[in-house]
Amino acid sequence: MTSVAISPALARETWSGPIIHTEDLWRTYQMGSEEIHALRGVSFDIQPGEYVAVMGPSGSGKSTLMNLIGCLDTPSRGRYVLRGKVVSEMNDDELAAIRNREIGFVFQTFNLLPRATALHNVELPLVYAGIPKEKRIELAKRAIERVDLTERMTHKPNELSGGQRQRVAIARALVMDPSILLADEPTGNLDSATGEEIMKLFEKLHEKGHTIILVTHERDIADHAHRTIHIRDGKIEKDEARKKA
Amino acid sequence: MLFGEAIGIAIQSLRANKLRSMLTVLGILIGVSSVIAVVAITEGLDRYMSDKVLELGTKAFRLQRTPDIITSNSQWLEMQKRKRLTMDDLEAVRKACTLCAEVGGQVWTGGSVKRGRVIQKNVGIAGVTENIPRIGTIRELMAGRHIVHGDIEAASLVAVIGSDLSDAFFGQMEPLGKEIDVDGHMLKVIGVGEKKGVVFGESQDNFIFIPITTFAKLYGSRRSFSIQAEAASMANFEAAQDQVRVAMRARRHLTYDKPDDFNIETGESIMELWQTMTRGIYVVTLVVTAISLLVGGIVVMNIMLVSVTERIKEIGVRKALGARRGDILRQFLVESVILSGFGGAMGVLGAAAFSFLLATILGNIMSANFTAPVRPWAVAMALGVSSVVGLVAGIYPANRAAALDPVEALRNE
Repeated sequence: MTSVAISPALARETWSGPIIHTEDLWRTYQMGSEEIHALRGVSFDIQPGEYVAVMGPSGSGKSTLMNLIGCLDTPSRGRYVLRGKVVSEMNDDELAAIRNREIGFVFQTFNLLPRATALHNVELPLVYAGIPKEKRIELAKRAIERVDLTERMTHKPNELSGGQRQRVAIARALVMDPSILLADEPTGNLDSATGEEIMKLFEKLHEKGHTIILVTHERDIADHAHRTIHIRDGKIEKDEARKKA
Repeated sequence: MLFGEAIGIAIQSLRANKLRSMLTVLGILIGVSSVIAVVAITEGLDRYMSDKVLELGTKAFRLQRTPDIITSNSQWLEMQKRKRLTMDDLEAVRKACTLCAEVGGQVWTGGSVKRGRVIQKNVGIAGVTENIPRIGTIRELMAGRHIVHGDIEAASLVAVIGSDLSDAFFGQMEPLGKEIDVDGHMLKVIGVGEKKGVVFGESQDNFIFIPITTFAKLYGSRRSFSIQAEAASMANFEAAQDQVRVAMRARRHLTYDKPDDFNIETGESIMELWQTMTRGIYVVTLVVTAISLLVGGIVVMNIMLVSVTERIKEIGVRKALGARRGDILRQFLVESVILSGFGGAMGVLGAAAFSFLLATILGNIMSANFTAPVRPWAVAMALGVSSVVGLVAGIYPANRAAALDPVEALRNE
């Protein structure tokens, strides 16, 4: 199942293969004379509409993997194909375009621009996509509607609660109708009730057909996903589907 | 990303740091306002000078012992060796210059003039030939008559007085026919000059004209005087000067390889000298402006580096959301250009205010209508230059921002 295009401006052909295909991903950092292997040969596929958690303790390489999946970084070795495009061979500007189009980021610290209104924050990816002003506002409003924040649209981040801020961030992640929603510890800065609320929102988006990748070190949060990839020492330790309750 | 968006972001960020932005543009503000103000004021002075010089008359020129403006001590010493001009020179020039409509002589001194107990000080006392009021700018009278040829012949004890003296001595009363005391000689007032006002803080109406022969009787004939001439037509202006020059060189027995030992001044020659002087002012201003713009540019660059450092996280977020290198580069360049362009605009306003103020003050001092026009080209240049400064100053910081690694930038707190 593919996500439904929310606007003709962002329409594209449907895709039936795996959204993500990785082969033997390595990421090596040079620390002085020492080479540090943050990832040591990671391979997996993610299908459209999946809800996957990437779990591991800190230092396991899950952040490095998240950066690669999010196209913020490229692997030292191996192949990463996102929706049929070979990301591992792209340059900076091509990566920027892929991030803009295919990835919806949700961060632990929300990362909203403090001086911009909620609406303008949501508009931002559309700005970099070169969509004209009127269309941008229309699309941004629709995305904000989907996270139930229409009445807070003109507020700035410091006038919103943590949960509301994260919902703005989710609206921003959704506004380009990306291939994957990539959430990095999305409840890490929220109290558990609010966290639960956010997780319900992810569940709802998953039901609507979005592909969601959740990076976390918390068992409870990972349990919301339908599949969990466990990372340890730069390798996949375990890749399990959730047992149906 | 669209430019409109970059401008919006830039203005938002500058507004968020109002004080810092204001302080940042100070250097550019000063640079820009000084260049505009100096251009305006020099132009105002130029205009004022040429108005004043034109009073000498376009067809008139002056033969005198030394130049009006002496630029060095050694030149001054050299000038002191020159021979005085005499009545004989005047006669010779009058005969030689067939292209001159009028040739007259004038000799000056300063002194006090009394009537009863009223003393008028620092009066310009001029001995003149009868045609002097007709050479160059016509001297009009408010009342009475000019000095005439008969007065010269007879060396009569008569005077045409300036309106300052008339006001001081006679007020509302009739001055004509009354006597005034000039260095112990009683002279009869025969005419009163029309009021001319104040130039460079000096009244133009504090004078008396007396026949040149009377002047010789009062003060002796050892003073050098100037010979004033007016060419019959503009076409003969240069030729008339040449006639005078040739006649004088012959009288002084100057061989062809010797320079003139006298000076011929025209309105044009004075104007040229003035412009040479103001060109110096222009050059100095240009240097000062260049320095202040350079310093202003460095300040802008510095603050842009601070701005980039403060916003590393924001840059990371923007990059994560799809901003390309060029988008980030443009964002910071636009911010830098707007910042210094704003400084330039403030500078234009400052210069306009300053020029107006100074023109008013100078105008008051000279009690003349003095204007310092702010020229559109100066404004356009100032804005252009300050924008270029912003662009250049912004390149390095903007490049640093654009080159940031998104992973690193997002990790920044």
